Amino acid sequence: MKINYILYGFGILLCLSGVGYLAVQYVKYLSELGRLISLLLTIGMFASLGKFFESVGW
Amino acid sequence: MTKRRDIYLYLTLICFFAIIAIFVVDGYMGVYDTFRITAGERPQKIDPDFWLRPEATTYETWVAWGEKVFFDYEIANHRLTGYTAEVNASVWRSQEKVRDLLTQPVTIGGLQNARVEFAVDTAELVPDGVSQGQSVQYSIQVNRDNIERRIIIRINPGSFPVPPKPVIEPRPAQPG
Repeated sequence: MKINYILYGFGILLCLSGVGYLAVQYVKYLSELGRLISLLLTIGMFASLGKFFESVGW
Repeated sequence: MTKRRDIYLYLTLICFFAIIAIFVVDGYMGVYDTFRITAGERPQKIDPDFWLRPEATTYETWVAWGEKVFFDYEIANHRLTGYTAEVNASVWRSQEKVRDLLTQPVTIGGLQNARVEFAVDTAELVPDGVSQGQSVQYSIQVNRDNIERRIIIRINPGSFPVPPKPVIEPRPAQPG
């Protein structure tokens, strides 16, 4: 069971590093609308993730 | 409770993949150009994001008179379809065209790059009547489709050709 949480954490870190890499590389090429939508989606993603962990019991 | 938990997880995944989709479609897809300039012995690179900055309208470089400035213009087609355009390069001064440098059609396949090279010889550019210490600037204008890139070349005023000084004969020694 504990190994599962370690794998979840590893997966989340990989996802965040992937998005971070894309953000560093390509955020300068995004249009203003693209940046706004990305920002809103990022907020939505972390909010949903937080609610998911809350419902799991973390 | 489990179903609600799954909804949050799905929402997270949807947001994550939507962000990646925006980065790919809006940030990566498109046609981008990069300049590599060698002025004197100084290599310089102008990345595509330079032209996206709101304060950036021109790029400026300098060179000593008589030296050439070499331009390597790279067009990266980050689209799945091909791209065809005509690249025009010309020299301008005081809003007037001085000379054409290049007119070349380019055809680039999907996800391919193309390069166009040209050079500016500053020895041919300095106008008449330029005095020592006067700075001379020219604009190199590169057009592709409706996109215009402008690079200013400032020719170092301290290196214009100096007229030969008159030779002063040594005065003969006075007798006595």
